[in-house]
Amino acid sequence: MEQNSSLSVADTVIRLDEIRRYYVMGENVVKALDGVSLEIKRGEYTAIMGPSGSGKSTMMHLIGCLDTPTEGKISIDYEDVSDLNETELAFIRNEKVGFVFQQFNLLSRISSLENVMTPLLYAGVPVKLRKEMAAAALERVGLADRMKHRPNELSGGQRQRVAVARALVNDPSIILADEPTGALDTKTGDQILELFSELQTEGRTVIIVTHDDETGRHCARQIRLRDGKLEGDRNV
Amino acid sequence: MFKENIKLALKAMMGNKLRTLLSLLGIVIGVGSVITILTLGESATKSITQSIVESGLETISLFSTSNDNKSIQREFNEELPGKILENVEGVSTVLATNSTRANLRNGQVSESYSVMGVPANYAEVLDYTAAEGTFFTGKDDGDTRQVVVLGTEAAEALFPDGDAIGSYVSIFRNQAKSYRVVGVMEEKAASFNLQFDSSVYIPYNTYIQRMEKVEIVGSYLIRTETGSDVLEVTDFLETYLDKLVGEGNYRVFSPSTIAEMATSVTGTLSLVLAAIAAISLLVGGIGIMNIMLVSVAERTKEIGIRKALGAPPRVIRGQFITEAVTLTLIGGIIGVIFGTGVSLLVTNMLGWGLFPQYLSYLLAVGFSMLVGIFFGWYPAMKASKLDPIEALNYE
Repeated sequence: MEQNSSLSVADTVIRLDEIRRYYVMGENVVKALDGVSLEIKRGEYTAIMGPSGSGKSTMMHLIGCLDTPTEGKISIDYEDVSDLNETELAFIRNEKVGFVFQQFNLLSRISSLENVMTPLLYAGVPVKLRKEMAAAALERVGLADRMKHRPNELSGGQRQRVAVARALVNDPSIILADEPTGALDTKTGDQILELFSELQTEGRTVIIVTHDDETGRHCARQIRLRDGKLEGDRNV
Repeated sequence: MFKENIKLALKAMMGNKLRTLLSLLGIVIGVGSVITILTLGESATKSITQSIVESGLETISLFSTSNDNKSIQREFNEELPGKILENVEGVSTVLATNSTRANLRNGQVSESYSVMGVPANYAEVLDYTAAEGTFFTGKDDGDTRQVVVLGTEAAEALFPDGDAIGSYVSIFRNQAKSYRVVGVMEEKAASFNLQFDSSVYIPYNTYIQRMEKVEIVGSYLIRTETGSDVLEVTDFLETYLDKLVGEGNYRVFSPSTIAEMATSVTGTLSLVLAAIAAISLLVGGIGIMNIMLVSVAERTKEIGIRKALGAPPRVIRGQFITEAVTLTLIGGIIGVIFGTGVSLLVTNMLGWGLFPQYLSYLLAVGFSMLVGIFFGWYPAMKASKLDPIEALNYE
């Protein structure tokens, strides 16, 4: 048991190996990420920080399998995802990544329950099980009584909780949050960060991408980017 | 997945009811016209046939169409009625007639009418009764007497004072010959090529001796036995004549040929209307494509979110095609209801029976779904190919 848990801590979820991501803008080549290598272990609570233009969004897109690198290798759960096609990337996103966005990005026409059920739909889970799993996830974030509500009937904090429930419903390898408190007041934002802490304690890998030092301080590990390069990697 | 897609499609449509309705209009009109055309075409044909058969008009007329072949022409002689009676089942009487246009004169009044040389039983066979005097007799015919019976129109024109019976009229054919009027007929509605009221009748033998020296019979009127199916008798007759004179050397006019003509007329009309329907379906399809492109653009963010949650391109494509097909399916169903409604209205107004074409319902709805797949494909492809990052950042 002891050995098992120490093994799982040492387990690498994400491995970036000399990652470069260049964009061609007319005649210029923008080096959004220019040779970044790092590892994130299972169960870590990590902040990826840096000012705008530092490459943290690009990093988030790559880790979230929304994009592929120009050069270098990314592995998630020891699976190389650097060269996958659209359909394969979609499959990895569905199975291994749970996204939480600054603007919540809930589907407005359907209820919170249906929003949380959506990743399971793409995973091919039968409808009855989908409902059960989504209901459990909503219960976990404290929204058992808001399942039938549509996003526009919920407060900002509640919406972000629905988004968190949606991110964890598929039991992903990583929960990837992009400025999750950016659209919330401090108190509500702190509650969301508290929720992430709890999820981390439960053994989930949480990565928060932020420009805000205050938010970053909640995380045990802080990775700093500047001009597409790794500037600092600090473990508290 | 399919069920979710349909639910999503319905939600998207309900979200903007007016826009949905407007974009469906082309499909509704297209399908509606197809249904109207097919239903009315069928109803017209069936109703015309039915009314011809029901009116008791069991007369078939027959004439030669051969111009050059003398041996075939000679078959159209006075023996043919006997042959037909003998060989064709369901025939009760065959009348040989000839006719030509000629001028008739009484005093100062001169008019042109169709002069028919007919046997004495002509009136009786066709249920044609005399208003004054009588139709001429077999003795008149046998003795080639110069007597004439007038249709109402001719009688009114030549004898406005109504003193026709016993008077004489001149009929001009190369030279004027004087005929004694023995009868004036009742009015009778024209039926296919018989214009009863504007014709005058003289004995058949008088006709071929004094009017026109002809060797062949101009046309035959064939009366079917009561209770026999006139359409079936026409078939028998045609089979017999094909053997006797050959196909294409004669022409038969009967309720069935009239029904066929009606069908070919509605057929031509249908073709024109079908072209209009096809165009409106095409325009409707383009309307669907347009609305789907708008829908994809409006929902770029949604597509981005779905992609982030793990929807592969194929699934996004499926979602939008399902939406387009659901749209056109609903348009098709409304079109069928609309088309049937119009048909019901028109058939009611014209007093026809309604003959719904169930197969055409299926075809129309199926075709409108095809329109949905065809015109929904491009917008759906566009949606599925969106870059997830750009789509997510779209405001």
